Amino acid sequence: MTEEDKEGSPPVPKIEVNDDQREEIDKKSEVGSQIGNNLDDDDEVKEAEGDEDEEGEGVEKGEDEGTEGEPDELSEEATALKHELQKIIVAPPMNPKIMEDDEIVDPEKYPESYRVNTNKEKLCLLYAASYTRQYAQMYAKRKPLLLKPINECGVEKLVCTTIKPTLLPYKPLYDWKGAAEFVADYLDFVTLDPEHEPPKRLRSPTTILEFQRANCFEYSTLLVSFLIAAGYDAYVVSGYATREICIMDETREVCPLLSKKREASKKEERPPMKRYQVRPPKDLQSKFEIKMKKRSDEAKEKERRKKLEEEEEKDIEAHKPLPDPLFGTRVHSWVLILAGKRGVEENFFIEPFTGLPKAVDDPEYLGIESIWNNKNFWANMQSCEDGLKGIQYDLGDISSWEYMFPSNEKPELKLPDDEYAADNLEIEEEEEKDIEKHLDIPKSWVKTITLSLRDFQTRCPSGKKTKLYKRAKLERFAPYLMDDGIVSRLSSFSDRELIDLEESKEVYEHRADKLLTRDRNHKTNWITENFSPGRPKHLKKHIYKATESGPESERTMIFFHHARVNGLERRLETPTEMTEHFKDREDFLFYRHVLFAQRTKTFGPASSGTSPRTILRIVEHYHRNEKVPADEDISVLTFNCADKKISITYHTCDEKISASTREFTKPDNWDDKTAPLIFHEAEMHSTFQVNPHDRKKKQVELYQLLEDLLKREEKSKESVRASEKEVRDILEVRQQEDFKVNLDVSVYDVQRNDKAKKLREELERRAAEEKLRQEEMEVDYLAPFLSLLDDPNNIQYSDALKLSEECLRDLKHRLIDKANLIQARFEKETAELQEKQQWYQRNQVQMQKDDVNSYLAYCSEAMFKIHILQLRLDRHKEQAPAKYMELQRRLTNDARLRDHLKGSAL
Amino acid sequence: MSRLYDTIEPSVIDDEMLQRAVVEQGPKNEAGKLAREEGIDFADVTSLRLDFKNILKIGNLWSFKSLVKLQLDNNIIERIEGLDTLVNLVWLDLSFNNIEVIENLDNLTLLEDLTLYNNRIERVENMDNLTKLHVLSVGNNQLKDLENMKYLRKFDNLRTLNLTGNPIKNDAAYESYIAAHLPDLEYLDYRLVDQKTREAAKEKYDIALQELEEGERNAARKKEEEIKKTEELELHKAAYVEHLNDSTLFDSLYAEDPEGMKLNKIPTVDEMISNYREEFNEICREIFEFGLKMHVERQAEVKMFWECVREAKETNKQLGINKIEEFMEYRKRVLPELLIEPGENHEEQEAHEEYQKTIDKLWDALMIYEMQLVDQLEDVIKEFERAMSDMVANFKENVSALFSRMRELENQHNEKLLEIGQMTLEKIVKGEVDDDIPDEIRDLFVDKDTLNSAVTSSHDVHLMKIDNREDDCTTKVNTWLTNLTRTIHEQEEIERNRQRVTEISHLIDHLKDDFENNYSAEF
Repeated sequence: MTEEDKEGSPPVPKIEVNDDQREEIDKKSEVGSQIGNNLDDDDEVKEAEGDEDEEGEGVEKGEDEGTEGEPDELSEEATALKHELQKIIVAPPMNPKIMEDDEIVDPEKYPESYRVNTNKEKLCLLYAASYTRQYAQMYAKRKPLLLKPINECGVEKLVCTTIKPTLLPYKPLYDWKGAAEFVADYLDFVTLDPEHEPPKRLRSPTTILEFQRANCFEYSTLLVSFLIAAGYDAYVVSGYATREICIMDETREVCPLLSKKREASKKEERPPMKRYQVRPPKDLQSKFEIKMKKRSDEAKEKERRKKLEEEEEKDIEAHKPLPDPLFGTRVHSWVLILAGKRGVEENFFIEPFTGLPKAVDDPEYLGIESIWNNKNFWANMQSCEDGLKGIQYDLGDISSWEYMFPSNEKPELKLPDDEYAADNLEIEEEEEKDIEKHLDIPKSWVKTITLSLRDFQTRCPSGKKTKLYKRAKLERFAPYLMDDGIVSRLSSFSDRELIDLEESKEVYEHRADKLLTRDRNHKTNWITENFSPGRPKHLKKHIYKATESGPESERTMIFFHHARVNGLERRLETPTEMTEHFKDREDFLFYRHVLFAQRTKTFGPASSGTSPRTILRIVEHYHRNEKVPADEDISVLTFNCADKKISITYHTCDEKISASTREFTKPDNWDDKTAPLIFHEAEMHSTFQVNPHDRKKKQVELYQLLEDLLKREEKSKESVRASEKEVRDILEVRQQEDFKVNLDVSVYDVQRNDKAKKLREELERRAAEEKLRQEEMEVDYLAPFLSLLDDPNNIQYSDALKLSEECLRDLKHRLIDKANLIQARFEKETAELQEKQQWYQRNQVQMQKDDVNSYLAYCSEAMFKIHILQLRLDRHKEQAPAKYMELQRRLTNDARLRDHLKGSAL
Repeated sequence: MSRLYDTIEPSVIDDEMLQRAVVEQGPKNEAGKLAREEGIDFADVTSLRLDFKNILKIGNLWSFKSLVKLQLDNNIIERIEGLDTLVNLVWLDLSFNNIEVIENLDNLTLLEDLTLYNNRIERVENMDNLTKLHVLSVGNNQLKDLENMKYLRKFDNLRTLNLTGNPIKNDAAYESYIAAHLPDLEYLDYRLVDQKTREAAKEKYDIALQELEEGERNAARKKEEEIKKTEELELHKAAYVEHLNDSTLFDSLYAEDPEGMKLNKIPTVDEMISNYREEFNEICREIFEFGLKMHVERQAEVKMFWECVREAKETNKQLGINKIEEFMEYRKRVLPELLIEPGENHEEQEAHEEYQKTIDKLWDALMIYEMQLVDQLEDVIKEFERAMSDMVANFKENVSALFSRMRELENQHNEKLLEIGQMTLEKIVKGEVDDDIPDEIRDLFVDKDTLNSAVTSSHDVHLMKIDNREDDCTTKVNTWLTNLTRTIHEQEEIERNRQRVTEISHLIDHLKDDFENNYSAEF
């Protein structure tokens, strides 16, 4: 409400006023002023008012009440009252924040639909006024309905028309969760002022998106606009809620991101008993002992749980909010989604501030006054004394929900009562009439909601948002906003004051090093990093200690094993051990454990990078290779480097429980590559064969096996060294990456892709240049002649005539010149050709073949030239008159000569 | 080669030659030394080369059972023979010999690479069993008939073929003919068969090829049908109701019953017979269906039993393995200390005893598991036996009831037949019958006794047939059950237990020996 609006108030329709309706009237007067100021056609207004009367009566009949007076009779009184009221509301309480916005707002900036009401809208407003009046009469104790607040331009608009169903081209908004989260993130909320009254102003979704500040009603309106477009049966709810909801105090709530974890619950189905299932062996444990143990365990568990609960309770008690003096009267708005559309099976609320779903009987919501969507408006007729429990959302039930517009899409609830049915029938008849008079909700006055991709991605105002939860803090950042690519950080604390940091979870996006999340436990200093596929070494997860980030310390690396040639899935390390797990390898290896010697602590400069650790033992496990008999198929292979021993355990046969083993002691000269190995079976080989009757291996075979094993040992050592090197490499790369974070930009991201941007800008620049050049090309044909004049800016009639004449003459001259020139060239070429031909005929006899050829080539070329010249001449002749005419036309239309020449033409 | 034939004495594949070849081609260096010392078993040799040896006749190779690769090239071999035992052969080289016919390769089913280059072969044949053949080289031979190459179509895996230097190569259509008829061939005469050639060839021989393929398809279908039929019959046999789904049994009733056949020719018997036949077949079908149903049930039961047994064994095996592994861990930990640490004699003794005790404990544990499994299996087997015998009894009962109905039917039929016969006899006696009754039947109606005896003998034959069939059915099912239970008892109860106990004892013995040896070695 600005001062201009209040000035010059013309007569208002006469209305009986009670206290609750004062403001309504206040607004109404403004409508009147708008009508007076903005409409040329008074008849229309009258017509509209007339219609409104009829409408009002219609509804009155239907609801069996009639209090409306004739507007003409009471206009004076109303005017007087209006003046009086204006005095009363000298300075309406305004939210200072809204004032800020108002300072920025220039009503002229908005399109016409924002500033002016159409006739239909006016009609509806009047109808709404009547509805409000009746409502106020019937329920004097209830707060006035928020039905037609003013918009950002100070114009009254029906709440329903403020909803503008729009589906933005962003996939997350197609889902209610995504849309609600977006609205919650994108806007900063403003509390209502006063907190127990509905707001007087409801700005359009477009304005809200622009300023990114909104009250709860504006939040809901925007969200419902998205949801209806996405196909949900969504409504804005106006009602009451607790303080925590109204000021979005989530510090007593568990952060939704943290609570999601607890969902996992496994159901293990026992396979059905088979008929010949063997009975389990007899259990010889004492049943009594088991029972007693169980009992004591249970008791302990119970105690523990009780203790926990008590602590929890104490905690809750200690942090209970102070009692709210305004409890039950705080006005709030949220969103209702009814079941039926988009696979929604149950009615539920969405809290627009947080974007979270709430049950319809959530105790935080205390009451509902009215609900509306873009089609209709319903006032709640049900009692909300007991919160929202038992509220029915059957909008067709007129005993529960009083609709405003008869074009009610919801099915009417037929009551069995005959009399009532008769009444109903009457109402229906009336309604039919109403429908015939096509009173339905006018088109939304709001412009189509648009949102640039950049704004959508930025999400929060200025790209950052911090939310506080119970023992947790959630910070969100827009992609590309932070240099290290962080988009969210969830920190959990052990205390409510958020001082003692326990754990933080960071989520990153678009990082060139593919880092997705980094979880850090601040107590143990363990860090877990997750990566997306595409890193050079296919690292998937890296768990390490912040304090010992160098190589040869405790860490776990998990890899994308499908992408790796060696099928490595996991590598666990401690200072003296390294365990690697593999998957889907062709050599059936799935596990390798390496034991290193303890590094002797050297004083002075650390030499960990220089000399590798000594390998004490390598143990390799293999899967069963079905192509080889089990007794030949190595299951566990141990290279005991320290003891110079190699031992093999084979797989067990199907029917056996023990496995064959074999052990070699390496010959003394095993690492001498030049000399053949010396092998003595008795000393260097021992074996256990499960099947004693199996053929013993021959010397040669054993010798070959030993040779093979030595080669394998060499290979295993190599791969261990390679693994160590890989770890060092990865760590080095990681360090560099963290030191200088690069962010990837998709080739499709036109905003941020510098290369594409440059290219586009270059293209634009070129286009602009081209345009400029073309403009330059359009020569002012009058310029040379104008410069001859004394005063080119002031052209007289005679000058004008002269100018045009000269101009035309000049053109004619030029055209003729050009024709002559072409003619001359043509003649010249013809003459040359003839000459050449003559020369040829003369010298034909003694000419060489080459000369003849060159002559012929010349001839064809000359003929071609002549032909072209002829064509050009013809075309010139054809076009010349047209050109002349064109110039003549232009001259007559030329801004400088037009007046004079037209006059002469006339 | 033939020029050498006359001049040089052909050699024989003898032990000496083989031994030499094996040693020459065997392991080298240190391993070779060891091998020589130990001697090489012919049965272990996987690859043998006998080239340029002037061999005339293949033989003496039977002991090379695991031979994979055999080279007999550049000899003067005239016949392919003596290779029947080399069933693992994958690679056979017989090039540069004097072979005239491809033969005696039927046992070499794994053969993938066959080289017969530079021989005197005139036809490609006798290789039906070489389904895995991948490379075939018959270059420089006397192949004259291009049509003969169709024979190679049956080798689905054939990719490389060498026919160069044969008379057929001179045929203008040679290349396209081969390309069209062997569409999967990739290399012909050392060159890649490109797509273009193949398509052109295919177009050229389109109609002929289609006919050929149609014929092949038909043959394949026929074969398939036959297989299916045999399979079905096998199934019916397994259900002991073979040939009961058609009128085989009924037909067999009259197969050895000349009187019956004659009787059937009595006027008005026709209709009766066809009725009888229908009803009889109806019962047959009932038996058949019932038999199949029972068979499925029995199979399911048996399958479930084995599954459970397998599971039980698996669980038990895992228990045993875990126990052994546990012990092995312990052993790894304790044994080095025991052997290395020289301490007080008394302490050593104690540790020694401790280790031995643990071994005994392992034995105990493993034996307990085994006993558990024995008990479990015994119970289950008993239960299974009971269920099976119930099932079989049920089957027999139902089937015999159905057979009784069959006999009943036969009796009725017999009575009716007798009645009609007597009526006819009366008519004949009275001379009321037309003359068109055949003479052979007239013979039956000489007097009442003849007629009666004919009818009775027919009836007896029929009853006997039915009884036989029933006996057949029940005997077979009984045999099956006995066999099954015997196998289960023998295999699962006795044999398995014996093996496991031996295994455990062997393991424990080994552990003990190992310890004693090492331990005593320390002293």
